[in-house]
Amino acid sequence: MSEQEDIKIDHYLTFVLGNETFASHVNHVTKILEMQKITEVPRAPEFMKGVINLRGNVLPVIDGRIKFGLQPKPYTDKTCILVLNIRLEGEQTMVGAIVDAVLDVIEFPEENIKPSPALGSKYSSDFIDGIIKVNEEFIMILNMDAVFSAQEIIELKTGEETAIEDSPVKNTESKNQNQEG
Amino acid sequence: MRESEDNFEQEMAELREKFAAEADEKIASLESAALTLENNPDDTEQVELLFGAMHTLKGSGGMFGYYKISEFTHDLETLYDFVRKGKLKVTTELLTITLQAIDHLKVLLAQGDDLDKQAEIKHQEKTNHIKAFAKTIINDINNSQPQIEDQPATIKDYDDKEGAATYFISFKPHENLFDNGTRPLYLIDEIHTLGEAFVVPHTETIPVLKDFDPSLCYTWWEIFLATDENLSTIADIFIFVEDESQIVIQKIAEDNLFEFQPFLHYLEVLKTGNVLTDLKDLKKIIDGLPAHQETDNNNAGVPADALTGHFEAPVTEAEPKPEPVPKPAKKPTISSTANAAESTISSIRVSANKVDNLMNLVSEMVTIQARLTMFAEKSKDLELIAIAENVQKLSKQLRDNAFSISLIPIASIMTRFQRLVRDLSASLGKKVKFVIEGQETELDKTIIERISDPLLHILRNSLDHGIETPVERAAAGKPLEGTINFKAFYSGGSIHIRIRDDGSGIDKDRVLEKAISNNLVSAGETPSDKEIMNLIFTPGFSTAKQVSDVSGRGMGMDVVKRKISEVRGDVVIESAKGKGTTITIVLPLTLSIIDGMHVTISGTNFIIPTSSVHKIYSVNHQEVEKAFDNLMIFEGRQIPFLYLRKQFGLNGAVPKREEVLVVKYKNIEVGLIIDKVWGEFQTVLKPLGMHYKNQEFISGGTILGDGSVALVLDPNKIISKLAKGQKNKDE
Repeated sequence: MSEQEDIKIDHYLTFVLGNETFASHVNHVTKILEMQKITEVPRAPEFMKGVINLRGNVLPVIDGRIKFGLQPKPYTDKTCILVLNIRLEGEQTMVGAIVDAVLDVIEFPEENIKPSPALGSKYSSDFIDGIIKVNEEFIMILNMDAVFSAQEIIELKTGEETAIEDSPVKNTESKNQNQEG
Repeated sequence: MRESEDNFEQEMAELREKFAAEADEKIASLESAALTLENNPDDTEQVELLFGAMHTLKGSGGMFGYYKISEFTHDLETLYDFVRKGKLKVTTELLTITLQAIDHLKVLLAQGDDLDKQAEIKHQEKTNHIKAFAKTIINDINNSQPQIEDQPATIKDYDDKEGAATYFISFKPHENLFDNGTRPLYLIDEIHTLGEAFVVPHTETIPVLKDFDPSLCYTWWEIFLATDENLSTIADIFIFVEDESQIVIQKIAEDNLFEFQPFLHYLEVLKTGNVLTDLKDLKKIIDGLPAHQETDNNNAGVPADALTGHFEAPVTEAEPKPEPVPKPAKKPTISSTANAAESTISSIRVSANKVDNLMNLVSEMVTIQARLTMFAEKSKDLELIAIAENVQKLSKQLRDNAFSISLIPIASIMTRFQRLVRDLSASLGKKVKFVIEGQETELDKTIIERISDPLLHILRNSLDHGIETPVERAAAGKPLEGTINFKAFYSGGSIHIRIRDDGSGIDKDRVLEKAISNNLVSAGETPSDKEIMNLIFTPGFSTAKQVSDVSGRGMGMDVVKRKISEVRGDVVIESAKGKGTTITIVLPLTLSIIDGMHVTISGTNFIIPTSSVHKIYSVNHQEVEKAFDNLMIFEGRQIPFLYLRKQFGLNGAVPKREEVLVVKYKNIEVGLIIDKVWGEFQTVLKPLGMHYKNQEFISGGTILGDGSVALVLDPNKIISKLAKGQKNKDE
């Protein structure tokens, strides 16, 4: 998300985790896989779901729900694995992320992205690059490098709502918080 | 036009790159040849090799803009020319100078012609040094053997200083000559620098415009050259085009024909039209010249067919009307040295990337083949099963082949070690014989890359701390010359590299003393000899009384140990005070494929390297439950065990009987309890990625026949990482 002078149209993949819609810049997403058998790796953090075979290579897979502090839920036929290209400790690496569903690829100019809410608000700005309003719905653009390289469960929502599972978070609150700067 | 200029620039850059790679190889071969010569000064093959390599460096260096290399090699080449002609003996002095020169060549190759100030001064120094050395030698030779008999067997021996002779050169380049960036006119220009030349270009083969392809070379040349250079010097000009071109060089007269009117007249005739040179006519003219005798037949080095056609214009007569496409040139043997070098090329250069890619593809193929086999067996279709079996056979061969490609002999890094021993022993004032055995032993290239520094370090240690000075050795009643024996060999599923010196050995008392003073061992302890030896691998340990600039900076053997473990290897050190030290490095054959045992725990697949499993026992689950203090008794011996199901937190149905894999950990037998061993599995090891870097007890993953991933366990790490937490967990 560089500050270029021209109007930049970027493409984002939107996906669902819990009741929230998130977006990732398409540059991060190399593939979308159906859910498949995952080989568990013993003695690993809970969100590290295990490894799968990606074209003869071994791909570590992270469970997005657990990573984001949501309760685990049985996988459905909508559950997908996003194959992501991220930077981890200065190196480009591949990781899979289990999400509840993949929605769409949307495009919008960079200027439509509102900066992420300031610190102390409901959303931790470390992991969110910005917020975009599409069809009256707010979508959080995730900083994929930060989210999927962190070694612990992400407190995406700071404060009171951390433990609430699938609670219908109304986006009205965040709308108000879209102050500039 | 601009574009073609750019293309030319680009191609030139590519060619330069190629030259640099090739020169690098040549320099390496120079070095190893020089070192071989040191042990066997009469090895004429090595002398030829040295001469050939220098010759090529000189020739191609200039061609690709490395003029300094070209200039620098010149005197060396001269020296080795004397050696091969038997005028000069190989001496240590000569080899020292050669080796220094080789080092300098490496610098020149790395920096090109644009040297910085310091390097420039150094370059001048080196050049002068060699020039001076060459001069004294040349003087010596000229004085001691003023009229040396020519050796008939070697080329270039005739008429070295006999004044001008006249040569006829027919140069028919291949029409694709431009493709490799050659500009024939430069070659013609170069001929002009040798002496008086008369050039007849033949343009009659140029087609009409509509058939004309500007990227092809249609022109060929006939050249008369009067020069006092010898035939091979002329041939050198064509050294890079000789493969693609028809080149005939003949001496037609022993003097400068340009001084004779009838000859000049003949040239005038040639100039007027497209008349082909008829050497018969020419011969008449020459024979008619006053005071001219028939030239003798000492045209050694001219191709045989050219010799038989002496004065019969073999090329022009064979092809009176040259066709646009010259027949593939019969390679003229105009330079025997260049050909000698060529004929020894039995391998090709392939970039490491390509090899890595090949390995990856083969790994994928092996994986998919396992799947095919499984599918075929399920289908019960006999035809399919037969096909699958064939694919399996082929993929196995392909795999073995591909893996053998990525293996390189340890000899490829030996030169560095030889140099180290030679230079370091001299500077330490020690006499050392370096004996190498098994340098043809092949290792995975990744392993070789990673162990060469640790090996250098071990050798340095041996030289610095191990081998004593001649005085000390004499006092100890040992031969004055110390020996370092370097041996590489296969043993079981691994490769052993053993470095043994007959030096002073390691003083166990001093090691212990030092360890105590460094708080590595507490004063009251009495560790075993083996444990004392292992202290050497502890970080921050160095016994050198004085810190020398060679070794003993306190970062010694622990780094060696770590580097070697990184490639899944192990180091063992044995030493007897006063007798010497032996360090053995045990390495896996390859990093990317291992023989594994396919086991399951609670339905999860794991692979355990077969090489680490010593025995397998079967036990009832109750016995595991009953076991006290994690000990079980097999064949009358107490064996501590790890119950992996529990360690890995795997729940699920527990089988009645479980299996115990006994592995060795630091000479202790430890049992790893799993559900069931299914069999052996060729394991293509894949990294798990950085997200799992804390799971050290897993060396990677591998793809099973059904496409799922199995984890490859590292028994050593399992025991060292998990055994501590065992007791707490079990309570």
